[in-house]
Amino acid sequence: MVTVFVESTVPIEREADIVTARQKGRELAAAVGFSGTEQTVIALAISEIARNIVSYARRGKVFISPTNDGRRRGVLVIAEDEGPGIPDIELAMRDGYSTARSFGVGLPGTKRLMDEFQLESAVGRGTTVRMTKWLR
Amino acid sequence: MNDQLQPSASQLLMHDMGLTEAEIERRKRIVGIEPSDLDRIAKIRGFVTSHADEYVSSFFDHLYGLDDARPLLASRSLVDRARHLKQEHLLAMVNGDYGSNYAEQRLELGALYARAGLDTRLFLGAFHQMLLNIGHDVMTEFQRTPADGFECFMALQKIAFFDIGIIVDILVFERERVIRQQQDAIREISTPVLQIRERLLLLPVIGVIDTQRARFITESLLRAVRTNRAKVVVMDVTGVVTIDSKVANHVLQTVAAARLMGATMIVTGLSAEVAQSLVTLGIELSGLNTVGDLQGGLEEAEQLLGYRVLAPGTTPPQVAP
Amino acid sequence: MSVPILKLAGVLVASVQAALSDQDLMRLRDEFASQIGRYRSAGIVIDLTALDVLDSYATRMLQSIANAAKLRGANTMVVGIQPEVAFAMVQLGLSLEGVGTALDLEDGLAELGSLTQQRGHRVR
Repeated sequence: MVTVFVESTVPIEREADIVTARQKGRELAAAVGFSGTEQTVIALAISEIARNIVSYARRGKVFISPTNDGRRRGVLVIAEDEGPGIPDIELAMRDGYSTARSFGVGLPGTKRLMDEFQLESAVGRGTTVRMTKWLR
Repeated sequence: MNDQLQPSASQLLMHDMGLTEAEIERRKRIVGIEPSDLDRIAKIRGFVTSHADEYVSSFFDHLYGLDDARPLLASRSLVDRARHLKQEHLLAMVNGDYGSNYAEQRLELGALYARAGLDTRLFLGAFHQMLLNIGHDVMTEFQRTPADGFECFMALQKIAFFDIGIIVDILVFERERVIRQQQDAIREISTPVLQIRERLLLLPVIGVIDTQRARFITESLLRAVRTNRAKVVVMDVTGVVTIDSKVANHVLQTVAAARLMGATMIVTGLSAEVAQSLVTLGIELSGLNTVGDLQGGLEEAEQLLGYRVLAPGTTPPQVAP
Repeated sequence: MSVPILKLAGVLVASVQAALSDQDLMRLRDEFASQIGRYRSAGIVIDLTALDVLDSYATRMLQSIANAAKLRGANTMVVGIQPEVAFAMVQLGLSLEGVGTALDLEDGLAELGSLTQQRGHRVR
């Protein structure tokens, strides 16, 4: 028997890992009790940040875990990479901004999908995105 | 995918309420439970254990004396289960082990009370009565060394407060969960999606639209589009209390999502003034198919679907085979 | 994993069964391009009924396929996007701009049929 209600870390090195990460996210979201629609939203958010890792940092990892704040439970996702980092975070988080390879929906769009969203990045050191979705 | 070991209901509840090992230790510190207390409790363990039946009865007798506690007491099996758990509780209270198993035990009984609809105040009253009885008997037992007796009873009180903390929390937690479910049910009833004709849906939106409700409406609509194979949806917003930029964006999102499913949306009931103010706020309405009133919207929808409205008295054209 | 392309009433149909890799998507686009030319197809239908999520990359690829088809004179219909998938997409901000959409294969074929008819009238 496999326990699904636990955290997992998915290494992101190839684009096939994007699918693995979002599948894990969907499974955990289902175990935590999210609806089908919310599972899809979480899977999409994971897909987007994992894709960012593949496109910009080439490798990193995505940590997916159940979480709670004493009143409600949810899913926590932390995506880390040691890529080039984002030089202008404010610009990257502005709606409509688009780099050559991204579509302009990337970060601000992903933020819309989740309830909490924090981004830390330093040029030359890497990027960490931390996001949470709460079960109503 | 089917090999899932799901945590038990109590464990999930422990998790939801944040009752981790660390949190349990924190709560014990809050009520001041110390190692010396464990020794004191050990002194009255045998005593309390031998009178456990009495004390459990006093708890339930107190409830029986109150009209409001009827629901809990109405079901025989519920009362028997509660008594059984209460007995276990009392024994565990003087047993000296107050870790996560202990907490989970409190949780299970608390959940039972919650399901039976036991009011927090009634619970507290009965619990207090039971403690009073224990306290009285302890003082009688220790009448030659009352100071000792008092210390032992105080130690037990600390455990009692720890228990109360957990049970009250879960009563409140469950009550909030019921309220949320009721809100969901209300939301469901208040946004019906109506099939007017084949492939045509009408969605009358009335009242206040917050983000949660807006998402719910969108989800319901999209599911209805699939179920009814709708090609056109008329969304009437005449009854929406305030149409600000947030609401407008929700509408635009819904239109976009419906289009991804091949359905065209017509928005009716958007007054010219509101539309103007939205445009001033920078909302892009040019792609939105709006018609002033519902009737006009329905006619437009029927046209889109290829229905033709004939003047009265006209013979319908023959359809070539 | 390659997606088979079927010929159905003068139209090319591909039914995507599972998440496609970047390579698979590019292969699909190239296959469509060559088959449109070979069979002089007026339209293509991409059926996404089996997909449980559609991200920005896949959306971009779909647009790219539609553009390539347009260059060869064929219209594109994306069909079968599920309610949850559509919901998540618009929340993210994806819109499949410029690509035709329909509920399912049946509707998609009907749409392409009427589009071709319109085109036929214009030519005449």
